[in-house]
Amino acid sequence: MPLFGQLEVKPIAGRLARLKDLDAEAWTLPRAEILQLSLEVGDDAIALLPRAMHPAVPPYATLLVTAYPESPVGPFNLAQLRLMGRAGAHPRGYVLAAVASTPAAAGALCERWGFPASLGAVTLRRYHDQIFATVRRDGETILDLSLVDPEPISPADVQYIHSVTLVRLADGERVTSQLVQVDPHYTVHKAERGRPRVARLAPEAWNAPTLELLHPISASLSTCDTDLPRIRFVMDADLPVVQGTRKVR
Amino acid sequence: MKFGIFYELSVPRPWTRESERIVYDNALAQVKLADELGFDQVWAVEHHFLEEYSHCPAPELFLTACAMTTKRIRVGHGIIVCVPEFNHPIKIAERTAVLDILSGGRLEVGTGRSATWTELAGFNADPDITKKSWDEFVRCLPKMWTSEKFSFEGEFWSMPSRTILPKVYQQPHPPMWVAVTSPGTELDAADRGLGSLRLTFGQFAEQGTRIAEYRRRFPLCTPVGEFVNDQVSTVNFLYCHEDDAVGLKRGRQMANTFNYLASQLTSVREVYPAKSYPSLGLLPQLRRQATGPEASEQAGEGLALGGPERVLRALKRWEAVGVDRVNFLLNTAESIPQDQVLESLRLFAREVMPAFAETKTPVAGGSR
Repeated sequence: MPLFGQLEVKPIAGRLARLKDLDAEAWTLPRAEILQLSLEVGDDAIALLPRAMHPAVPPYATLLVTAYPESPVGPFNLAQLRLMGRAGAHPRGYVLAAVASTPAAAGALCERWGFPASLGAVTLRRYHDQIFATVRRDGETILDLSLVDPEPISPADVQYIHSVTLVRLADGERVTSQLVQVDPHYTVHKAERGRPRVARLAPEAWNAPTLELLHPISASLSTCDTDLPRIRFVMDADLPVVQGTRKVR
Repeated sequence: MKFGIFYELSVPRPWTRESERIVYDNALAQVKLADELGFDQVWAVEHHFLEEYSHCPAPELFLTACAMTTKRIRVGHGIIVCVPEFNHPIKIAERTAVLDILSGGRLEVGTGRSATWTELAGFNADPDITKKSWDEFVRCLPKMWTSEKFSFEGEFWSMPSRTILPKVYQQPHPPMWVAVTSPGTELDAADRGLGSLRLTFGQFAEQGTRIAEYRRRFPLCTPVGEFVNDQVSTVNFLYCHEDDAVGLKRGRQMANTFNYLASQLTSVREVYPAKSYPSLGLLPQLRRQATGPEASEQAGEGLALGGPERVLRALKRWEAVGVDRVNFLLNTAESIPQDQVLESLRLFAREVMPAFAETKTPVAGGSR
């Protein structure tokens, strides 16, 4: 069998989002701009991955910075660091941390889908030679990245892997640690690709103290209509997903 | 229809000093028996860094061992990754010629370009150009095998005039194939007069459509070699047991293990947006088959698992779809004990193989 993640949930349980239920309504998010960088990471990242998941071979992470011009809580920007792996046979990105640019967005993403979201300044700036994104929180720049030399590609060439968030979820009298699958739809209208460059990533600020960025893979920017849909699947964080998956709807 | 066997050489964790050796030894014993039973080909892949899924980076060595211990079975070197960072074309021509000589003219050459980021990035290869480099390589190979002197100036490699030695044993040269997973690659095969080495399991309807398109297009081809190979080969699992239920159960377990391991790979498409990799290839299908709610039903379509009658029915359908050759994966991660694998081969040869009359002569002779 492939390797499994080695995350100990107990020590981090206190900072996980608590979901009251799995009944959040979907959000429609038109005209989003998504900057995604993929980078190979060190083998030690396996310590950050839930036991339910397998690490990717080679291990890699994605950094996503998204501008949502329209949402039920108004316009906001969102940055995420995801450690990529497999839930059973399916590629999934485990959200290590997220930073949202408005309190309403940070709160709702946390309460409804379990994003480990905090509040910060998230910028996404487009120039002809580069597309920049930065994240500042508590006066510190915790992420500074760019897509260099953007060139148009076909919208069909871009693919986004679904996410999972780790949450505390009430189950009768008990509170358990569960992975929530967040599986948006994407209708990509425009896409570009370029070289990925990460000038700064503060691993501790992204709940990833052992994460080491290694080989850059790709960078893309897309304009798309997307959503945050109703939750469909939850998984026990410590069991292989073929044993611990529950279909919600 | 002809039958062969096909090796990824998967090695399950935990890895010990002996685990890889056991897998290779078991495979060699299977090949020896398959040769005695009348199987027509043994194929071995070229993969690198694909933990558990495939520990077969040097198929030409494995196939040399196969050739040395067998008499009739043809040895399929495939697919050779036709990307310069993986294999220099001169080395491909030389290695394949040696293998053709050592096997007494039993070589088949499969070509391809790799579909995983794991491998391409491991060799620092550019995913954007693999289709182009593959094209350049397959045009050169037959000339390198057959010309007394060869020189070339291309986009991905060049060489001054030299005599590439040794020359292949088969005349004019070994049959050539291309691996077909991404939609449209069957047309690449047809346009170049290459055999279609399909690497997807199951799905009669989808494969039937693509085979029909290959056949329709083939007569218009410009052959890269000195003869065309118009055959369609596909892969399948094989576990044949007297008790149909036992055969199905153990066989599906093997198929699911294979699909699960395959799904762990990082495809190019997953991480690198590029028009040269427009689809995930066979991975989505394997993922559905491994873990989808209808996994057991899907795993049944067209797979050679179960009792002899069920296996025969499945293969007759493949024959009707237009498949000329079926290459079987006999085991995955040693999930089936070796004695049962060998017994499955014997049962298949005894009960199923006779029902398939030879319909085509080999595309190349075995001697000059």
